[in-house]
Amino acid sequence: MEIRLGGVLLAAVALSGCAWFHRGDHRPTPLGAGGDAGAATGDQTIIEPQVTRRVVKTPKIKASDFELGAYFGALSIQDFGTNPVYGARLAYHVTEDVFMEGYLARSRAGTTSLQDVFPNITVLSNSGKQFTYYDLDLGYNILPGEVFLGRGRAFNTALYTTVGMGDVKFAGTDRFALNFGVGTRILITDWVAMHMDVRDHVFETDLTGRTKNVHNIEATLGVTVFY
Amino acid sequence: MPRLLPLILLLQAFACGVVHAAATHLQLVVTRPYLEMRTGPGRGYPVFYVVARGEKLTVLYSRTDWFKVRAPRGEEGWTYRDELAQTALPSGAPAPIPGYPDFATHRWELGAGYGVYNRQNLVTAYADFGLTKSLDAEVVLQQAFGTLDNRYLATIGLRHTLIPEWRRFSPTLGIGTGYQYTQGKVPPKPLETNNQLAYVSVGARGFITRRFMWRFDWRSYVVFTRQNSNEEPEEWKFDLAVFF
Repeated sequence: MEIRLGGVLLAAVALSGCAWFHRGDHRPTPLGAGGDAGAATGDQTIIEPQVTRRVVKTPKIKASDFELGAYFGALSIQDFGTNPVYGARLAYHVTEDVFMEGYLARSRAGTTSLQDVFPNITVLSNSGKQFTYYDLDLGYNILPGEVFLGRGRAFNTALYTTVGMGDVKFAGTDRFALNFGVGTRILITDWVAMHMDVRDHVFETDLTGRTKNVHNIEATLGVTVFY
Repeated sequence: MPRLLPLILLLQAFACGVVHAAATHLQLVVTRPYLEMRTGPGRGYPVFYVVARGEKLTVLYSRTDWFKVRAPRGEEGWTYRDELAQTALPSGAPAPIPGYPDFATHRWELGAGYGVYNRQNLVTAYADFGLTKSLDAEVVLQQAFGTLDNRYLATIGLRHTLIPEWRRFSPTLGIGTGYQYTQGKVPPKPLETNNQLAYVSVGARGFITRRFMWRFDWRSYVVFTRQNSNEEPEEWKFDLAVFF
């Protein structure tokens, strides 16, 4: 309570102090030349100009540095056959050369060659066959350029490489995986692109008995939208 | 549903593009003898058109350091940031072309990197917001891949840059808290799966070029457990980031 009262008193003193500084402002405002003329004729009306300042708003430039899309293709899971894969990708283009990219995709393993000979053997459970991965990549446009379709059409393209790392969940276990890729981007319009990619996901596993690095190469086709 | 997700995202992006197309655009006047327009957003694309001094052009949008512009007679092409910055508004004021964000006073950072947590491979991603020139708040998501278990870490923390004026290398100190979720890979199951944790960190950051920067961090964690002793893992990591 004391503190509150103290605050009120302090505010009162401060406000009265402000008024003290403005004590000279009560003098009548001297009129200009026009005012004097008005005073001479007895007319005290001062015409206030009714002009509002126009606020000029400059439109902002939209940036379209993000690229979002989906892809579909074939993933060769080492020792477990080649299978369909589908996923989503999001990229941010930092400069005309460099971009950062994230992928999220899913596939499903088939059977091993051993199971073709001995069909009754179970290597992976049903849920263990799921192959899902995410990747965080850094990409570089090595060969930007144009491709021509007939005489009148040109499309901007880029051949790029990506390198990154992420998680591969296969046989019910998450594993640290590196990935290396090469791809081509063809811009159908300035904001729709087609991609063709080949990427290798490398990770260490002991699924088939001995610990080894496995290479899982995928070839995909995708569509993305810049925004 | 998982099959539908990419499609939904794609449709959303499409909608963004449509909205984007309907916006009003910036008009600029060429003040130098001419302005070059290229066929693509890159230094190697050929110049196919030039806009003369005094002519108006419309800026449609930007991609990285390139701007898509429309000439008075409808030709559309790409022009470089530095060249467009030398044009003017119809009022005569300089063109409002934003330069690169200043590294010393930037607001946002987005980055990802590699590290080692408790002798396990670590994938890390972070977002960082500059509260002041030297104090940042950060959110970090990490996944550590062990032979016995798999750990997901989410932390929030404060990070102090000791000398923000040093661009190429500046030491940092940090403190924060978060959660760790442990997923067993091989039996027996982990004794506890959800643990709160706290950390202190020592690191450094530096400017690379344009919008790129690097960060290094060494963290000492205390993972609070219900056992007789807490877990005290260590971590180091290196991130590449983009700042805005």
